[in-house]
Amino acid sequence: MEGPITQATGHNNTIVSVYRDRVELRSGWQSQNVESVGLRDVAVIGIKGLVNVTLTIETNTGRVFQLNRMALPDARRIKNTFEQQKRRAGLYD
Amino acid sequence: MRRLALLSTTVLLLVFALPGLAFAQEGPSTADLSLAMDTMWVIIAACLVLFMQAGFAMLEVGFSRMKNVGSVVAKILVNLAIAALLFWAVGFALAFGTGNAIIGTQGWFLAVSPGQVNDVYAGLSWTQVPLSAKFLFQVAFCAVSLAIVWGTMLERTKFAVYVVFAIVFAGLIYPMVGHWIWGGGWLTELGMQDFAGSTVVHLSGAMAALAGTLLLGPRLGKYDDDGRPVNIPGHNMPLAVLGVLILWIGWWGFNPGSTMAAVPDIADIALTTNLAAAAGVLGAMSMSYMYRRNVDVGMGGNGAIAALVAITAPCAFVAPWASIVIGFFAGVIMYATLVYVDKIGVDDPLGAIAAHGMGGIWGTLSCGLFTSPALAAVGEPGLFYGGGLYQLGIQALGIVAAGGFVFIASLAVFATLKATIGIRVKPEQELDGLDIHEHGVFGYPDLVATDYQNGNGKISEPMESVPEGSA
Repeated sequence: MEGPITQATGHNNTIVSVYRDRVELRSGWQSQNVESVGLRDVAVIGIKGLVNVTLTIETNTGRVFQLNRMALPDARRIKNTFEQQKRRAGLYD
Repeated sequence: MRRLALLSTTVLLLVFALPGLAFAQEGPSTADLSLAMDTMWVIIAACLVLFMQAGFAMLEVGFSRMKNVGSVVAKILVNLAIAALLFWAVGFALAFGTGNAIIGTQGWFLAVSPGQVNDVYAGLSWTQVPLSAKFLFQVAFCAVSLAIVWGTMLERTKFAVYVVFAIVFAGLIYPMVGHWIWGGGWLTELGMQDFAGSTVVHLSGAMAALAGTLLLGPRLGKYDDDGRPVNIPGHNMPLAVLGVLILWIGWWGFNPGSTMAAVPDIADIALTTNLAAAAGVLGAMSMSYMYRRNVDVGMGGNGAIAALVAITAPCAFVAPWASIVIGFFAGVIMYATLVYVDKIGVDDPLGAIAAHGMGGIWGTLSCGLFTSPALAAVGEPGLFYGGGLYQLGIQALGIVAAGGFVFIASLAVFATLKATIGIRVKPEQELDGLDIHEHGVFGYPDLVATDYQNGNGKISEPMESVPEGSA
């Protein structure tokens, strides 16, 4: 199975992982809820805060995922890795 | 025959004359013997307190899952090393050096000529033992306080965080509180009673732990989908109990050793310490049975620790009956706090906030309640002996000031770390265990259990490496 390029933990059993072609969000006590969003479907990834950071992932269909209380370097790593993957896939001008 | 008579006479002369000659020479004075005894006692007590690191190691290993035990012992080792060096370089001077009401300003690196020791370290001038003995005893206390910090942050903290925070804690935070209460600072002047460190050592460690845990967040899987706490059992209760027993023995150096002199009082202090610990076990086990209808082994151990923490401040000031009351209620308070802390979303695998935090608060306050007039070498008698509310008020002030300072200072350090290097490991590292990811080995190489990663039950594959800036 393909491993994630990077991962980070949010509050309340939430995990965000960036793969080559998608961003995956796992939540729930045993990571039973999995949301997978393709690179093309992510509109924007935003970071808010300094110590307890909120990472927001907005999709083209209007869905918004939020991961709370993340560390700033973790959130930045997720955002940078995701944008790097988009560039690699030629999804930016 | 003449030769035999001569030999016998010579032998008899020697037998009778030699003792006289020996007494005629100048032997060690009573003061020299007293100093030697005091020094020996302080070094033995320092050994016992240092041995408490082994107790913390076993306790934390026992309460951890087996995939994280190597990380626990590595953390204990590095923290002891950092505490030893930082406290030698600056911490001891800040805590016990002559200075102002807030901090000591003399005596860096223990570089003091023998004749000036009492002038430079006024905070410890009341004991006659050599400077090295004073330092070795006090540095062991600093290491204990630091060890307490990490009990709440087990199984998910980056190793670098242990290292950086240890430097700040051993080099600045702990010494400041030590100076306020023990080193001639403003709480010393007010007459705060904290004989061996319920506040200085234990509450300080617990408040730093609380600050770190609030920013770190709970372990993955600790709370279910409805937010209810899930029990994540440690992997080895016998080891955890061994740790408790080592700590119990170590406390015989911690409390009686704080006399820093081989005086008869050490026996009384050891007695109050022991009685409190015993009562604490029974208090926590009683609570466990009433709350869950079973006798929780871990809670029994934590009850002993909470009671030992609680009796640390008043151990020299209270009667044996009072130590039993203090210990029993410490066990009860610890259990109630542990359940509450768990419910409000603070994941404390070891129960350090409950045992060391609430134990420290209760113990410090109990001085203001139970201090006997005959034993009140510092401050005033307690409320129950007609001493009024003055001492209780001073104790409460000390708790708020010291606890508040440590909490805010630690929160600032952990917040800075969280915003710069991050304080939590990646989820795959947490699920696989810190041993393999942070230290490259398993604590138990032939017997390891990790959480399921992606449902395949295997340790996760290494992450793909993508060069920075590659397009």
